[in-house]
Amino acid sequence: MLQRVWNAFRASRVGRSIFRVGLPASNLERAQVAISSFLLHLQPAKVHKRTLKPSTTFGLGLISLYLFLILGVTGVMLMFYYVPATDAAYQNMKDLEFVVTAGRVLRNMHRWSAHLMVVFVLLHLCRVFYTGAYKPPREFNWVVGVVLLLLTLGLSFTGYLLPWDQLAYWAITVGTNIAGYAPLVGQKLKFLLLGGHMVGESALIRFYTLHVIVLPGVVLMLVALHLWRVRKDGGLARPDEPAFVQQELAPGQLPTSKTYGLMELARGSTPAVGLAPEDVVFTWPNLIFRELLLFLAVVAVVLVLAIFWNAPLEELANRVHPPNPAKAPWYFLGLQELVAYSALWGGVVVPGLLVTALVLLPYLDRRRRGLGVWFARERKVALTLFTVCLIAAVVFTTIGSLFRGPNWSFQVPWKPIPAEEQAFH
Amino acid sequence: MNDSDPTQVKRRDFMQLAFGWCSALFALGASAVAGARYIVPNVLYEPDQRFKGQKPEDYPEGTTFLSDIRVFLIRKGNSFRAVSAICTHLGCTVNRGADGHGFHCPCHGSQFSDNGEVTSGPAPRPLSWLLVSLSRDGRLIIDASQPVEAKKYLVI
Ligand code: HEM
Ligand code: FES
Repeated sequence: MLQRVWNAFRASRVGRSIFRVGLPASNLERAQVAISSFLLHLQPAKVHKRTLKPSTTFGLGLISLYLFLILGVTGVMLMFYYVPATDAAYQNMKDLEFVVTAGRVLRNMHRWSAHLMVVFVLLHLCRVFYTGAYKPPREFNWVVGVVLLLLTLGLSFTGYLLPWDQLAYWAITVGTNIAGYAPLVGQKLKFLLLGGHMVGESALIRFYTLHVIVLPGVVLMLVALHLWRVRKDGGLARPDEPAFVQQELAPGQLPTSKTYGLMELARGSTPAVGLAPEDVVFTWPNLIFRELLLFLAVVAVVLVLAIFWNAPLEELANRVHPPNPAKAPWYFLGLQELVAYSALWGGVVVPGLLVTALVLLPYLDRRRRGLGVWFARERKVALTLFTVCLIAAVVFTTIGSLFRGPNWSFQVPWKPIPAEEQAFH
Repeated sequence: MNDSDPTQVKRRDFMQLAFGWCSALFALGASAVAGARYIVPNVLYEPDQRFKGQKPEDYPEGTTFLSDIRVFLIRKGNSFRAVSAICTHLGCTVNRGADGHGFHCPCHGSQFSDNGEVTSGPAPRPLSWLLVSLSRDGRLIIDASQPVEAKKYLVI
């Protein structure tokens, strides 16, 4: 029955005008559907078999993208109830939690996806590093990625203030004061960010505007660029295949192994150039269905998290008494841990060096050896340096998150904090 | 004008350069400057940093916390001083030491002496001392936006 209705619709003028190809039945149509559909044409008609292997990317970039989409949808839903004003915001959050149907689940989904997105973008970065996928010709896409990472952190940070509870208020107070330590521009930057000297009404509306339109808009455009570059840089990074790359042609002789269409011409090692036909498969259905499956899995996990675990909402922001200890969002706790030793080092020097190193990395480490291979032996130095930094970051973040109690004193997480130490003085 | 002389600039090219590019760049630059200036607020609707308190004799000996402006008002006999409670590290509110001496910050454990000097922890600067004055009707005015040098008391 459904099949008949669909077929009738497809055959009608309207149906044909919308779906030019329809569900493909032949190889020709499989190629056509990937090329002619707006969403699907992000991908080439055919992809290398390696793309399908989970261990190539573990889908980490894709999961980041899906989380971003979930954040977009749930975020817009939250906007229907949320008013960015200091005397309304907290009440709106309570309403979402206790009054609005499904409000709590939407808020939880938004919060958990936000945390997960930071996690998965970082994991994606590690994957790209450990497979050497930033090497030429993908240097620029790595830099786009670094910008996306910073924007992801920015999105999460600006969103953190919006519930206007104690957690929000003091995390942003501490976080923006860290920015104030930047030499020369620090205080100006902080003033601009807050629209004043303290976290107040103007800070809230600024963070809100950045959070709901400016940053997501930029991320959306950069993600489009990022994905387009993945394709134009020749699909996912893979080791050079010497047998085909080195095929020498006499002048005037055409390559005999394969023919390819215009749309598959891209610079460098394109998905099709120099490949035996048996190495590539049709995007539809091989890749598309795996991607859809992954999407379902991500939505399912986020839903389960959102149904069973509530996003925290502390007391209403109190601009006099910080909670003890007052902590920044977890992904900044490594920095806050450093800041507890020295604000200049933790707040400015270390993050500055880290970002600079990340941006310059693909331009410094340009040899193609180890491209597309996990933990390639030829890359010992780079692997060691990166791993040391990574471990340091994880250790500092863990100490900052779990081992710091009241007055930032060292504290083991499994020992309860005495009540009198938690109380305000 | 000789068309084939390469050192000569053609009128049309000159016009394009002078008016086309220059005005385009000017428009772009001016909008960028205006846009950047636009986001710097000219008026702030923040709570007043000046706080009008009670008459001096109404304050007890020792420390009073003025939560409106996050300041400790400290009375010793007939001398008054005000010490900011905003930690110079990252802006948390410091607490008075349990024994009524010194200050300590709950956020990253900075400790300050009675005069606001840093005795331990990551705070880079001492707590500021603030201007205390008398209003015409004889009440104390504490101005949290006016730091003064340390050890400046108001003596009644
Ligand atoms: C908003 C955040 C991001 C999103 C949504 C995103 C999305 C993606 C997607 C979907 C892919 C295709 C392969 C895959 O699924 O792993 C990809 C590849 C890639 N990403 Fe990202 N990414 C993000 C951030 C980053 C970051 C932080 C970096 C590194 C600094 C980065 C560098 C790269 C590079 C170099 C590739 C090509 C990898 C290859 O050819 O094997 N991306 N990205
Ligand atoms: S804010 Fe007081 S020690 Fe960090």
